[in-house]
Amino acid sequence: MPRKSDSSGTPAIDHEAIRELAKLLDETGLTEIAVERAGVSIRVARHSGGGLGRARTESAVSTPVASTPLPVDPAQHPGVVASPMVGTAYLAPEPGARPFVEIGTVVKAGEPLMIIEAMKTMNQIPAPRPGTVIQILVDDGQPVEYGQPLMIIE
Amino acid sequence: MFDKILIANRGEIALRVLRACKELGIATVAVHSTADEDAMHVRLADESVCIGPPAAKDSYLNIPALLAACEISGADAVHPGYGFLSENARFAEILTEHNVHFIGPRPEHIRLMGDKIAAKRAAKELGIPVVPGSDGDVGSEAHAQRLGREIGYPLMLKAAAGGGGRGMRVVTEESQLASALASARNEAKAAFGDDTLYVEKYLTRPRHIEIQVLGDGKGGAIHLGERDCSLQRRHQKVWEEGPSPALNSSTRDEIGETVAKAMRAIKYLGVGTVEFLYENGKFYFIEMNTRIQVEHPVTEMITDIDLILEQVRVAAGGGLQLTQDELKFHGHAIECRINAENPVSFRPSPGKIVHYHPPGGLGVRVDSAVYHGYTIPPYYDSLVGKLIVHGKTRSECLMRLKRALDEFVVEGIETTLPLFRALAREKDVIDGQYHIHWLEEFLAGSGLPE
Repeated sequence: MPRKSDSSGTPAIDHEAIRELAKLLDETGLTEIAVERAGVSIRVARHSGGGLGRARTESAVSTPVASTPLPVDPAQHPGVVASPMVGTAYLAPEPGARPFVEIGTVVKAGEPLMIIEAMKTMNQIPAPRPGTVIQILVDDGQPVEYGQPLMIIE
Repeated sequence: MFDKILIANRGEIALRVLRACKELGIATVAVHSTADEDAMHVRLADESVCIGPPAAKDSYLNIPALLAACEISGADAVHPGYGFLSENARFAEILTEHNVHFIGPRPEHIRLMGDKIAAKRAAKELGIPVVPGSDGDVGSEAHAQRLGREIGYPLMLKAAAGGGGRGMRVVTEESQLASALASARNEAKAAFGDDTLYVEKYLTRPRHIEIQVLGDGKGGAIHLGERDCSLQRRHQKVWEEGPSPALNSSTRDEIGETVAKAMRAIKYLGVGTVEFLYENGKFYFIEMNTRIQVEHPVTEMITDIDLILEQVRVAAGGGLQLTQDELKFHGHAIECRINAENPVSFRPSPGKIVHYHPPGGLGVRVDSAVYHGYTIPPYYDSLVGKLIVHGKTRSECLMRLKRALDEFVVEGIETTLPLFRALAREKDVIDGQYHIHWLEEFLAGSGLPE
């Protein structure tokens, strides 16, 4: 069903879609549903106190992204740290030592996340931004290529 | 024999190398930039490694990334293709230092032939006929003037570090010499980091005839005949054929043997091409390319030799499979380099190929990495593919070429197919009567049929 825009050019709020999602939430017992279509995303969530949370519509020009970790392709996640080089990933400064970070570790920008070794030189990979490590996508000793998702930091 | 070859290139030549590796039972590693993730050879290779972003300097020219890719894949040899690092002696040396074989000549020969002045000097010493010119840097303006008077105008100024048609300038009379020298030096410095120039007699209407060689690195070498690559635009080859319409078998044997003898003397390893200008029955050495060339399929079609396979074999220590006497030529072959360019303006036309139907049938070969739905990235050369046609005679070859060109469909981008359809019907081309300026004169004079 085509949506009519208001004069400012932003898409109108799709009440029907929100009602549908809210109904679905109730029926399925899920706590949260998010839908993205044609540049508009809608998220409906149930707060722990019961009752429905407020629905939010966001319009986006480019691909909108969920603000909480949904099962998306890691390469598309805004918090992804991609490998800047080809080599072998090591999660700890040396064999047997504690890893640089673990899931849940809070890091500052510039802190080392892991080492990538190529031709006997060890290259520390710094955190590009501050945040919490929520996913580690490579194993210790795994070969990695340029652009490969290594970790997700939120 | 090698266990695993890393293909340090892209596009049609990477696919070509991959095919040879598969036939030899050698595992393949395709390295690629992010722009080439969907390349055909990447899909077909046993393993692939993304080595960098689209820009060549960060990917296909990125030696550390290539070495790291060798390391993590366990490749024991690298095939450099053509262009990129194929004639980079340092790359060959670094690989050797890391116990990876470089499939190509020894670094000393890459260096020798990479310096155009040294190459010419070496050719002369080895008995290969050269273009009269300065023996080394052209030097001061006074020295250049003297040379000009000795050799006679017109002259060609050439960058010693250039090659492949770049860094060259014609001087038609002495009054132009000073300014031509100054600007040629500036250009050479900017393009190649080296402003050394040498000067040569400028031949007015020569043909470009090159000899394919193969050496085993131990003093054995053969020639595999010539290719006539006279049809060029801005020094880039457009149409190549073998044998040359201008040579008879005794001329071929003579120049071929001169070149093969020189390769034996230096114990050349691998494939190479010695390029000449040919005018009034005389050959003049211009340069040697120490790598596989784009137009190698022309030679393959008339000799039945797989040149990439031979490259790999001799690099792995194998000897030559046949002697010069055993090598036989049969029929005629023509190759057309089809580019993603407007056929009149030659403006590049990258983009998505929405319909693709390559020609087929007896004697028709298409070396291309393009496929239906493929998007040609804007970061690299504009070669769509090479159409190579073979016939028992040159006439049969031309008929087959016309038929194949007419059948070839590439839609979604512009290509130079219309140019080739016109050339295959041009009297001078049909008669084999052309020279290195012919194509530019043709393009300037006629317009192409709309």
